[in-house]
Amino acid sequence: MPTLTINGREVTVPQGATILDAARSLGVDVPTLCWYPQLPIVGNCRICLVSVAGSPKLVPACATPAADGQVVTTESVAAVENRRGVLSMLLERYPVHDIPDGGSRNEFEALVRRYNVPTTKRSPLPLRTGDERAGDPLIQHDMSTCILCTRCVRACADIQVVGVLDVAQRGEHAEIIVGADGNPEHAGCTWCGECVRVCPTGAIHDLIPLAKLKAESAAQPERTVRSVCPYCAVGCQIDLSVRGNDIQRVRSPWIEETTPNIGSTCVKGRFGFDFAMHRDRLTKPLIRRGWVKRDGTWRFEPSPDDVARWGRRGGPWREIREEATTRKQRPKFNPLQSLRLADAPLGDPRDRVATPKEWYEPFREATWDEALDLVASQLVRLRDERGPNSLAVFSSAKCTNEENYVLQRLVRGGLWTNNIDHCTRLCHSSSVSAMQRAMNTSAASGSMREVEHESDVIFILGANTTESHPVFGAAIKRAQKRGATLIVADPRRIELAQRADIHLQMLPGTDVALLNAMLHHVLECGLEDKEFIRTRTHGFEAVREAVAPYTPERAETITGVPAHLIREAAERYARGPKSSTLWAMGLTQHHTGTDIVTSLLNLLLCCGMIGRWGAAMMPIRGQNNVQGASDMGAIPMSYTDYLPVTDPSVRRMYAEAWGVPEERLSLTAGLKVTEIVKPESGVVGMYIMGENPIISDPDVAHAEEWFRNLEFLAVQDLFLTETARYADVVLPGSSFAEKTGTFVNTERRIQLAHKAIDPPGEARADLDILIELSNRIGLPAPFADASAVMDEIARVTPSWRGVSYARLEGSGLQYPVPDAQSPGTFFLFDDEFPTADGKATLTPVEFMPPAELPDAEYPFFMNTGRQLYHWHTGTMTRRATGLDSREPTPTVEINADDARALGIADGDPVRITSRRGSVVLSARVSPRVARSQVFLPMHYREAAANLLTRSDVLDPYAGIPEFKVSAVRIEPVTAERVEEGNGKRSTALGARPAAAESWSD
Amino acid sequence: MGGGHAPGDTSHGDRGHAHHDAPYEPVFVGAVKDELTEILGRYPTKMAALLPALWIVQRERGWVSDSAMAEVAQLLDLTPAYVKGVVTFYTMYHQHPVGKYFVQVCTTSPCGACGAEKVVEAFLKHTGCGELGATSPDGRYTVIEVECLGACGFATPVMINEEFIESVTADKVPELLTQLP
Repeated sequence: MPTLTINGREVTVPQGATILDAARSLGVDVPTLCWYPQLPIVGNCRICLVSVAGSPKLVPACATPAADGQVVTTESVAAVENRRGVLSMLLERYPVHDIPDGGSRNEFEALVRRYNVPTTKRSPLPLRTGDERAGDPLIQHDMSTCILCTRCVRACADIQVVGVLDVAQRGEHAEIIVGADGNPEHAGCTWCGECVRVCPTGAIHDLIPLAKLKAESAAQPERTVRSVCPYCAVGCQIDLSVRGNDIQRVRSPWIEETTPNIGSTCVKGRFGFDFAMHRDRLTKPLIRRGWVKRDGTWRFEPSPDDVARWGRRGGPWREIREEATTRKQRPKFNPLQSLRLADAPLGDPRDRVATPKEWYEPFREATWDEALDLVASQLVRLRDERGPNSLAVFSSAKCTNEENYVLQRLVRGGLWTNNIDHCTRLCHSSSVSAMQRAMNTSAASGSMREVEHESDVIFILGANTTESHPVFGAAIKRAQKRGATLIVADPRRIELAQRADIHLQMLPGTDVALLNAMLHHVLECGLEDKEFIRTRTHGFEAVREAVAPYTPERAETITGVPAHLIREAAERYARGPKSSTLWAMGLTQHHTGTDIVTSLLNLLLCCGMIGRWGAAMMPIRGQNNVQGASDMGAIPMSYTDYLPVTDPSVRRMYAEAWGVPEERLSLTAGLKVTEIVKPESGVVGMYIMGENPIISDPDVAHAEEWFRNLEFLAVQDLFLTETARYADVVLPGSSFAEKTGTFVNTERRIQLAHKAIDPPGEARADLDILIELSNRIGLPAPFADASAVMDEIARVTPSWRGVSYARLEGSGLQYPVPDAQSPGTFFLFDDEFPTADGKATLTPVEFMPPAELPDAEYPFFMNTGRQLYHWHTGTMTRRATGLDSREPTPTVEINADDARALGIADGDPVRITSRRGSVVLSARVSPRVARSQVFLPMHYREAAANLLTRSDVLDPYAGIPEFKVSAVRIEPVTAERVEEGNGKRSTALGARPAAAESWSD
Repeated sequence: MGGGHAPGDTSHGDRGHAHHDAPYEPVFVGAVKDELTEILGRYPTKMAALLPALWIVQRERGWVSDSAMAEVAQLLDLTPAYVKGVVTFYTMYHQHPVGKYFVQVCTTSPCGACGAEKVVEAFLKHTGCGELGATSPDGRYTVIEVECLGACGFATPVMINEEFIESVTADKVPELLTQLP
């Protein structure tokens, strides 16, 4: 622990700290250019040179270790003279005429001002050039201001672990280049914007994807508002730069703040915000034409014309099933180089999936009073006439904890049913049922930082982290660089699989065989944690017997993974010493999802890989608040904190808290998402907040039919979605930027997002809508604001008891937070599990094949999932101009050998058919998928993957459908066959605008 | 590092789509691939084989194209930008196609004093290149000046491809050229 003196003040710093670290710890501002926290130190800019007594020369503060007894002067005459010299030399090749008088636009110019360097000297050398990324809608370069600090090179290589950028040439010709040929796509760029974040001069800058936001106003935002990214469950904190009522750009929180993302973003977080300002936003409540109020009663009396045209609940649109048969082809030209987005008006031809005009036809605009009155009256009428269980509600993993809480409160206390669920049913419900059974928990045990910094082995199953959770994916890549072993189990050769030390490329749905065999081998080698098994688990013997027949050789015949790889993976995982276990949809979205996760938990528990810092159990959550929505009780079987609805004492507590008669709260668990959307469910009225089941549910054709037949449907959303178009009432809600509330990320971190802008038009904050609806239904919701809701949540939720808005500013809190003093919980289960006796339960499971296997007629495995640039049903990302320009059309990934055998070339239109339906989309020949497998992204209305998935086989515990395995056949689409589909469409709807035509069909 | 993506990996966007008229033919196939494997065996890291790998590319193709850099990057777990940084740092990797005979004339001070400039002129005239770095219309020659070929006592030294020729004077140039196959 050296002690040194800086500018006359003494300071003691940890061994290994630099002079710069010491100075910063004192708050002494030593200027830096090439240095940036957490990036490798290169010491090439020489601006941080300081005087050290006894040293004949100035030393670089960033690269010189602090030593005992050093006497440092940071602004000595010599140091300042040197800095002026360095700045002066850099200025010689800098466009000095652009520097505003007396002001500065960036870090570099601020230093020029600070040291009062004259800006008159010019070198005869020309201004720098480099790869300009011309035509790129997201990131552009102006290398005339580049000072070659190489922060961008290191940020790309060391934070994001991609390596798009580097320095080429040498001497005066040195320049920053993009890949080998200047094309970011060829260099693996993911448009995360890390380079934009670290650039000290703005040479690399984001291009605002909205024409009306001019560069000069964007450079000086009126205010910055801290928010939480609306996409995945990493829960990145972001700073919104706001002027007037527009978000101008997303900026990163400072890298040294404790945020889940250390200020990084992915392309969605940085460039996916403009959907909030899209012209498609609903600005007034809509009521289906035909609803009239007479004598105080609402009646539905549609005009005969309307009924003749589209029945009770239709409209002038093609159903998802019909739309899927139109031809799609990827644009021949590269959208990045072909469209000058910056000059395009907001209505860009790329908005091909924007709400078609005619979708609004069945509706009329209404006042809030009318709309809420209609919703409340119909919900109450159905509750009283048809019984509470004739109603069901979809809550939203995109909405805040407060909104989810108030909605489930309304459903239980006001509608008297437990029929509330949300899309967790379609993602991690099987993880939750397996974790509940094993250890009575429903969330990750650890934190993302421990995986990054502490784990020796990282075992990732069925999670395409670099695309679905890119910021966490980068952390995993950093962990591997640090020396952690990466084991990836995935049927696809995704980026992490390519980088992995061991890639277990199993056949889809064979996970139980693989994991049982790994455990078999662990036990055979005696590598299990005997002490942990003895003291902290039940049921080991049964599991030992169950895995005995699963030799690696037998597993090889089932999974296709070579036995020696299974053995090696098992040994490395069991040896740890600290192994973290991460998984996502690849494990859960099977009809055996609970079994699969159980077999993983068996392995994890037998190896004792939980309850230590560095041994995390982490189901990687999908949506920004899917954890919170479940925690808040927006699921049919429990109140907040997973307190069961079937427990009378729990019911009593909530009845008192909400001021409702106890018998009003149902003691029967409600229906799950996948049970609600079934003819036999008995549900005739629905309220849907921020979900789009007509794209996200399995077997969409049947789902669409089901929604069409409802007696009453109200939807609260930002846009007239594929689901909302069937509604009786559509209530315009608010985007993430338009409200204050909290979200829970995948590591149980409750984070506060602040309101940045007002909702457009008459759209209202979602919480206000719910509070008013609750009041109108007859359940008083006496909440002044979101903070008041959190106070009630804290009262009724034991593990959130210490949570309040005042404590959530900054990095937030990881629950459990049992009291107001608790700092939160970074990892769980260090000494016991939250079960009756504190022990976890091992449950033997047997391998069962997927419900539908390929056969002669449908010879391919079909897998569905996410892409980097899109999000779920595309409601948001396909209206985010920059994102949609990167992935404008639906594609199916197919192996090169299969494509050749079928006569399909990259980009060709193909038809994929399952027993449920068929879609036409364009082929993407990819080395990532194995033979006899195809991968369909789930984001596209015009080729909805879920037309092909099946809804009739569900996991018996969790009710999750098997999104990950369907049997399909694939065939090239010839021009004649496409005409059939097109002809039908054009007579029904007329021609679409020419611009849209060139983009999709 | 290690972020290399296969040239044919179309996982993001249209990466790998035809940006050249003809599809790229990899350099490292068959015996050339074996040669690289042998070279890799000499070094503790793949990265260490970068310079020899680039030499092989230049030998096989006459120059190092952007696509070849990407291929090398992928084989050695490097990034394309890193490989380009190396290629452009050195003067001896050709970033453009050159003539069949690549003529390097030393024009450092001692050779300059002995008339190297005239030797250069003669080469430019008799090869038909016209200017330094340009390739003659028949595609046979490219002429450049280089710094010190290490034979000051035998000015002016010239290298034509791998062949080292000492004591070249302007009047010997036409004969030198006619001797080339």
